[in-house]
Amino acid sequence: MTPSLPDLLMGHMIALSTPMPPEATGDYLVGRLGLLAMISILAVQEAERGVDTRVWENKAIRSILQRAGAGAPCEPAEDLTWSALDRENAQLRRALIAAHTSAEDRGDTALGREILGLYHEMAGRRQLVLPPTS
Amino acid sequence: MSLADQLAAYLTRLNGAPTTVENLARIPGGASRETYRYDCVVDGVRRGFILRRDPPGSLIDTDRRQEFLAIRSFAGKDVAAPTVVALEESGAELERPFFIMERVEGGAPASPFQADPYGAHAAAIGERFFSIMGRIAGEPVEGLPILDAIDPPAPEDCWRRELDYWSGVIEADEEHPQPIVRAAIRLLRREPPPPAAKLAVVHGDYRTGNFLHDGAGHIIALLDWEMAHVGDPLEDLAWAMDPLWTQIGDARISGMTPREEAMAIWRKASGLEIDPKAFRWWSLFASVKGQAIWTSSAKEWRDGGMKEPVLALSGWYTARRQDQILAEQLLAWSA
Repeated sequence: MTPSLPDLLMGHMIALSTPMPPEATGDYLVGRLGLLAMISILAVQEAERGVDTRVWENKAIRSILQRAGAGAPCEPAEDLTWSALDRENAQLRRALIAAHTSAEDRGDTALGREILGLYHEMAGRRQLVLPPTS
Repeated sequence: MSLADQLAAYLTRLNGAPTTVENLARIPGGASRETYRYDCVVDGVRRGFILRRDPPGSLIDTDRRQEFLAIRSFAGKDVAAPTVVALEESGAELERPFFIMERVEGGAPASPFQADPYGAHAAAIGERFFSIMGRIAGEPVEGLPILDAIDPPAPEDCWRRELDYWSGVIEADEEHPQPIVRAAIRLLRREPPPPAAKLAVVHGDYRTGNFLHDGAGHIIALLDWEMAHVGDPLEDLAWAMDPLWTQIGDARISGMTPREEAMAIWRKASGLEIDPKAFRWWSLFASVKGQAIWTSSAKEWRDGGMKEPVLALSGWYTARRQDQILAEQLLAWSA
C-alpha cells in the first residue's frame, strides 16, 4: 500500500530532474516518461478518492475489530492528512491481522468469512484504473 | 569513463583483439537488470548483443549465474532461449555483475498494459506460448547446466521452498501492513499442495511481456529468466495465468488463448496432467509471489532515492491490483 500520493509526486520531481546518461536516452527515456504519465493518470484518481478511502477503511476495520472483541489499538486520527490516516491505518491493519489469525486458530469461520469480505471491499475501494494502451 | 568505453575495454580483453562498441542504448523494461543493446565490431565484423547488468536497486534480488545457466540449459531445445556468451560475476570492467547474450533481431515484447496485444495472431501466439512452457516443464532436469547453480528440492518440498522464500521477502520488505497477502500465506501453509508430479526448470517469470514476437504469430525469444529455478512445473503455468496479466473483461489469458484451451496445449506439450487441487494452490501462490515482488519494488524505489518510476508503478498500482486478485481468490477458496 505504499508509496503514498505525496511520495509519488516527490518521485516525479526527482525522476524528471535526474540527468540521464547518454546510453539511457532514446527508447528508454520514452518508456520512462510513459511510466511517469501512467502514474500521473493514477495519481488523479488517488487525489480524488484517497482520503475518503482511508477514512472508510479505518472505520470498517474498527467496526470489525469491535465485533471480534479485539478492541481498537488507537484513537481515530485527529486530522485528515495522508500521513495521519496512514499511521492510523497501519495500526488498525496490524490489529486486523492478529484478529484474523486468532479467528482461524479458534475455528471461527463466520468471523473469518466476514474478514475476507472486508478484504475484498478494501481492495476494491483502493483499486486504481489504468486505461489500456493501444 | 562511459559505459560504452568500459564495455569496449572488457570486450577487447575478452576477444584478444581491438573491439569497439557502437549504438549502445538502454532498453525499457527488464526492471530487475539494466538491459542494453549494442553492436560489437571486431576486425570490421559487426554483431548485435544484449548486455544484462545488475542495477544498484531492482525489483528482485536474483542470482545472475542461475539466470545464465538456466538460459544455457535450453540452448537448441526449441523454446526460443537466447544464446548466452559470457558471464562476469565479479563485474570486471563494468563494476557490477553482468552477462552478455546474442541479440535476437526482428521482434518486440508486448506491454502487459496493452489491450489486444497480439491482434489477429493471438491464437498462434497462445499456441506457441503455452507449448514452449509445456516443453520446458516436460524437459528432464537431470544433467542440465542450471543444476550447477542450485540444489533442487525434493518434489514434496517445492511448495515450501518457494513459499518460505517469498513470504520472507514480504516479511523483510513490507512498509505498510498487508492483511490480505498474509491471510493467503497462512492459508497456503495450512493446506499445502500434493508433491510435484515431476521436477522441472521453472522459468519463474513466464508471462506476456517477457518474450519477443515477430508480429506475425511467432515467438522468437523468451526473455527474463532471472527467477529461474527447479521446482513444480505448475508454478509457471499458474504465474502465466494470474489475472494480473490479463486485461479486465478479456476472456483470453493475456489476450491470447481461453483458459481451458491454454491448459490443453500445456498438457499436450509437457505430457503432464494438471491436478486441480495443486493448481489452485499454485494459483494463489502466484499472487503471493507477485505481491512480494511489488512489495520489494516499493521498498527499492524508496531506498534508491525515488528515481525509478517502474518501481513506483509496481509498488503502487500493481500491488493494489494484486490485492484485489488475492482477495477474490481467498473468497473463492472459502466458499
